[in-house]
Amino acid sequence: MNGILNWILWLPIIGMVGVILTPKAKENVIRLVTLVTTSITLLLSILLYLKFDTSTAEMQFVVKFPWIEQFHINYFLGIDGITMLMTFLNALLFFICTLSSWTIHKNVKAYFALLLMLQSTVFGVFFSLDFFLFYVYWEVMLLPMFFLIGIWGGENREYAAIKFFLYTFFGSIFMLVGIIALYYATGKGVDSFNILAHQGGKFVNETVTIFGHQFSFEHIFFWFMFLGFAIKVPVFPFHTWLPHAHVQAPTAVSVILAGVLLKMGTYGFLRIAFPIFPKAAVDSSTIIAILGLISVIYGAFCAMAQDDVKKLVAYSSVSHMGFVMLGLSAMTTQGVNGAVLQMFNHGTSTAMMFLLIGILYERSHHRWIVKPDGSKGYGGLSTKLPKYTTVFIIGMFASLGLPGLSGFISEALIFLGIYQKFTTITIIAVVGLLIGAAYLLWMFKRMFFGEVNPETEDYEDMNAREVFYMLPLCICVIVFGIFPSPLLNVMKASVGHLVELMAKF
Amino acid sequence: MIQQLFGFLGYYIPEIICVVLMTTLLVAESAVKDENANRGKIIGYALAVLSICLIFLFQNLGEAPLHIFHKAVTIDPFSTLIKIIMVLGTMGAILLSYSSKDIYSNLKSEFCIMAVGVLIGGMLLASANNMLTLYLGIETLSILSYVMSSFKRDEATSTEAGMKYALYGGLSAGVALYGISHLYGILGSIQFAEMASKLPGLEGANLAIVMVAFILFFVGIGYKISLFPFHMWTPDVYQGSPIPVTAFFSIVPKLAGLASLVRISMIFFSQSSVLTISWVGLMIVISAMTMSVGNITAIGQNSVKRLLAFSSIGHVGLMILGVVVLNDVGIRAILFYGIAYMFMTLIAFYITSQLSDMYGSDSHEVFKGLIYKHPLMAIIMAGVLFSLAGMPPFSGFVAKFNIFSVIIEKKLYGIAIVAAINSVISLYYYVKLAKTMIFNEADGESKVTGFTPANQAVIVALFIPVLMLGIFWEKIMILSGNATIFIN
Repeated sequence: MNGILNWILWLPIIGMVGVILTPKAKENVIRLVTLVTTSITLLLSILLYLKFDTSTAEMQFVVKFPWIEQFHINYFLGIDGITMLMTFLNALLFFICTLSSWTIHKNVKAYFALLLMLQSTVFGVFFSLDFFLFYVYWEVMLLPMFFLIGIWGGENREYAAIKFFLYTFFGSIFMLVGIIALYYATGKGVDSFNILAHQGGKFVNETVTIFGHQFSFEHIFFWFMFLGFAIKVPVFPFHTWLPHAHVQAPTAVSVILAGVLLKMGTYGFLRIAFPIFPKAAVDSSTIIAILGLISVIYGAFCAMAQDDVKKLVAYSSVSHMGFVMLGLSAMTTQGVNGAVLQMFNHGTSTAMMFLLIGILYERSHHRWIVKPDGSKGYGGLSTKLPKYTTVFIIGMFASLGLPGLSGFISEALIFLGIYQKFTTITIIAVVGLLIGAAYLLWMFKRMFFGEVNPETEDYEDMNAREVFYMLPLCICVIVFGIFPSPLLNVMKASVGHLVELMAKF
Repeated sequence: MIQQLFGFLGYYIPEIICVVLMTTLLVAESAVKDENANRGKIIGYALAVLSICLIFLFQNLGEAPLHIFHKAVTIDPFSTLIKIIMVLGTMGAILLSYSSKDIYSNLKSEFCIMAVGVLIGGMLLASANNMLTLYLGIETLSILSYVMSSFKRDEATSTEAGMKYALYGGLSAGVALYGISHLYGILGSIQFAEMASKLPGLEGANLAIVMVAFILFFVGIGYKISLFPFHMWTPDVYQGSPIPVTAFFSIVPKLAGLASLVRISMIFFSQSSVLTISWVGLMIVISAMTMSVGNITAIGQNSVKRLLAFSSIGHVGLMILGVVVLNDVGIRAILFYGIAYMFMTLIAFYITSQLSDMYGSDSHEVFKGLIYKHPLMAIIMAGVLFSLAGMPPFSGFVAKFNIFSVIIEKKLYGIAIVAAINSVISLYYYVKLAKTMIFNEADGESKVTGFTPANQAVIVALFIPVLMLGIFWEKIMILSGNATIFIN
């Protein structure tokens, strides 16, 4: 069983090689190779879930080889409860995205090769327990993403791709400085690049001098790391790359971006920034909570103002990821449980929204709720597209946090977790939920109710393929809304360990 | 005595081979009857001899370090490794010149002669152990460079480049010589080690004069590796010179100058003194300015040749940071950077040169839609650009990682932040070029036929180290780590 992480990590790369070796003209073979690869990965991740021991916070399925011995850099993989969920989410979403990308006809070979490469690098980020390896995956992930947005994106794709790339690179270069500083702070020893070995507040008493001023080591490098991760989440005020990237990216890439890539940011907080710099994290928890709150409210208001339905969902992601940051800020058991659950639930519900918008876009070739000339983009879709409307309702209500669907539980847990520490912030954040309901329902009303727009007359309802790939997400959203314990059990031990660690500071 | 002389000469075989090569090339060129005949054989001969030179260099790498010619020249692993990189860079540039239309066919073997001459100067500079040898190295290197930059004889810009280069070069060499003579006046020797031993005893006016003299001397080297504020000549010279020459200039003379800068810093300033602090301070400021000026100026360049030239200024600025720490780890970082940089730069110029031959221009436009015209070359070029920007999994990342790591070890966080921001700036212009190649649709013909299989093979062969050194870099790190400087 120990090699299973290796398999999950490298299988997409094997698939990628398979895609590259397939002749360009055989597009269906390329799609099938990708589909087979992603389905095996999905099956392996389910197997991983079944074999996963929920009683311990220790890293499981650990793989460790020396890579660069001189620097004590290891090829070091392992997962705990938090990454278990992310692994499953990643495997599931790539499987679904492969199916949804069936309609891509431009450079099919390159597209699927890059998609598989992206999947591997995302797994790499979640599995890496060695800082150097983590950083390499974190950066390499930008390359397929850059090309996927830039080649298959919409009209303004170049700007969006470059902005995405530069923004993330800017954050991660500061993270690199932090990683190297940690390497020297631990004395270049055997564990200097081991993420786990740094955890637990080992640098509380260290100081650094920058431009002649003395600072606490923890605080400086916490903020360096914060920059790297906050840009990825994205937390206000670093969110400006997100709407561009989402609107321009092709559907599948939007799904991946919102579904898993944003989670890499919050995962970075959970695994790296908080446990390694606990004191700084606790000291700045109010700032983090306020930034999270601004993301919630600001993202929601921005979403309300959008006429482009994809941009609306993109801003709603900012808002929902703000909830995750809120949940993390208080460092209570419920809060962190809620945050991790929200990471998963946001992954499924936003993926649904983006996929649904993609399905509609394939029929209408625009995404305007209200066109720039003031006329309605859609209208009365509910009468024409019953299946589509049903799925849309499920996705939308999951997204706005209707009780009984998945979003509700995670948001409720987050509020429970932070209420005692940040009462005012909680109360304001609940308003964010209300605004969320408002913009989603308003969008729904404008698109699905009212008079049937003549332009939408000839739209076809969802076909079998589309129904098939929406189904797993619908199941996730409904089942985990009523019965979240399969998810909560998996992460319980790991979250408990983290909260315990943070409680000492 | 003769025995001893021969024994010493054994270490000097690579240089001797190069001198012999240069002279035989001169003879061979004069024997060519037809002006426009193909110089393939001559080039092949030069490459073969340079490969033999490489073998001897690798042999020297394992030897214990020593001074030869009455301590005028040092043969140590550091200089030998730098020489290996320079020889490889020269071979690459010669290959490039052979396939490039920028070098007229009747000048191909002349390019070879000049390049080997510059290489000899560079080798001399890299192992110089006294001021005279160092000056000799700089001059040998420079005088031939002036000729090389004006190789496009019927173009005014090329002539202008040569002229500018010569004027600036002559001036800065003069200033450096002025500084050297003051150093000799105060310290009473031209041997590095003897000069260094007298430094700690200095005080008062003598110390002040030595400080100024060092700065004057620094102008000479700073000019060669185009450090801020002595980089003014670079844009025009790089613009005017043919592309293979520009590629050559961004590798060999820079590494040679860098090598001598490293040696001087290590010998004179590795013990702490008042001078050390000011030298390190100077280096940090110069490095920050060089990086920023190089990278910021590169943003606006439409000519890819110019862009690469400016980015090379940025890279040298980053490499200088390895000097700042004044220890073996810093040298290791510089050497690794040098190796990675050599391969990346060669490929970037190689592809630019090929495209420029096909379209008669080296602006961003000729790169438009390269992915559709020639996917392999576009992917390699993109890889090299990302590597130059310091993205994993390419060697440029490891090189950058090492530089960052040496400065952070010394807790120089301020300059680390400056370097980090510079790295983002550089990513911007590299990504812009990558974007042009890959996102933009091609206009004009749909396929590029200009890349001959031989050229493609060379480019792919050069790309292998760029990728491999980004993943399995331990061997080369150990090699660079062993290449220490021999002081006494």
